[in-house]
Amino acid sequence: MTQFKNYDIVTPGELLAEGGIGGEGTYMEQEKVFSKYFGMVSMNGNIINIRPLSGKYVPEEGDDIIGKIVEVSDKYWTVNIDVPYSTRIDIRDVGFRVAPGDLASIMDVDDLVYAKIERVTTNRTVDLGMRTPRYTKLPSKMIAKIDPTKIPRLIGKEGSMINTIKDATKCDIIVGQNGIIWVNGPKEQVDLALMAINLVNDKYYDPDLVNRVKELLHYV
Amino acid sequence: MYEERFDKRKFDELRPIEAETGIIPNADGSARFRIGNTEAIAAVYGPTEVKPKHLEKLDRAVIMCKYDMMSFSVPDRAKPGVDRRDMEIGEVITNALNRAVMVEEFPKSMIGVYVYVTQADAGTRCASLTAASMACADAGLPMRDLIAAVAAGTVGDSVVLDLTKEEEDYEGGTTDVPIAFLPSKNEIVLLQLDGAVSREDMKKVIEVGKVGALKIYEIEKEALKRRFSNESKS
Repeated sequence: MTQFKNYDIVTPGELLAEGGIGGEGTYMEQEKVFSKYFGMVSMNGNIINIRPLSGKYVPEEGDDIIGKIVEVSDKYWTVNIDVPYSTRIDIRDVGFRVAPGDLASIMDVDDLVYAKIERVTTNRTVDLGMRTPRYTKLPSKMIAKIDPTKIPRLIGKEGSMINTIKDATKCDIIVGQNGIIWVNGPKEQVDLALMAINLVNDKYYDPDLVNRVKELLHYV
Repeated sequence: MYEERFDKRKFDELRPIEAETGIIPNADGSARFRIGNTEAIAAVYGPTEVKPKHLEKLDRAVIMCKYDMMSFSVPDRAKPGVDRRDMEIGEVITNALNRAVMVEEFPKSMIGVYVYVTQADAGTRCASLTAASMACADAGLPMRDLIAAVAAGTVGDSVVLDLTKEEEDYEGGTTDVPIAFLPSKNEIVLLQLDGAVSREDMKKVIEVGKVGALKIYEIEKEALKRRFSNESKS
């Protein structure tokens, strides 16, 4: 058992529980559970999870991400998705027809793409895919960047937070798991949406965040 | 005999400490640590792509540490740039951080740690290491524990904690022992010795250093948490 509760802040190496099992963001040593991150407690029944307050994105299979094309080759695009590993979209992994050598006509350098991580190989290269129409090239509109660790908070329980923002601002918003957010709409509405996103970024650890965001959206 | 310290502290008393995190917005994590007149700032970037590529490790991240003293940090102007002493300190900080940061979670990547000493009055490597570990925690890296580092030693024939430059230069003979701990693991990650010391004294020095490190550890934790508790009240 542990004396910690939700939204408590812990530092790395902090003793969380004697015995028992730790959840995500914890590690065991000599049958004790310690925190691995400078993060926030999130209890799941008896299991204690630590969500880091900051950090870089770690690519995982199945994640939807937003990236920028940095290089066009004969058979693949190289994409920057803000990870330390080389990331590509191979023409075998796209749902549309494309001729080898003619890739630039479809997506060129500096274009934004919404894609899915198909696989992360054992030698750490990331293969992206765009097999379904859901994944497309995005017209260059406003993008926002927040810490990837805060994405779950931005989306909220079953999308509650992001839907609140979408409904209030009438903007198209696409959230990449790597922390890049694409926003499209009339200028004032986009600004409002970005304000709300930045509020989530700054006040991430506030238990009453949903109401704060609602207040901001209706007040302005 | 060295019976009273130059700055009237007790023999096991630390100099006044200030610590804060998040001081460099462009870095992924950053921290400032000040103990007496010694101050270090640290910035952490990463994990990022490894450059130069040949240093890449297949099973873990490499930590690259650069330690440098600002030219105005000492009474006689220090030549800017990394000299032999800076390289050594960069190396010992890297070794200590390798024990604290879980580098095996980020294979084929690099974590850049940049430490600058803005004011030097002895114990710079300890202040730098403490600042670097706080910056790593602030950057959201998985860590086994924070590092708390402090210098202990002997001046004349007294065992003292947290030496100043004045004490390091005492004619009666001094020993400087920088020690770094993972406090919750009770593990030493850095232990160096400058001077000569008897076996018994060395045991006492480490004991004194451990008590000091635990106090620093509490200040580090408080500094990391403070940033979030203060803001939520406002």
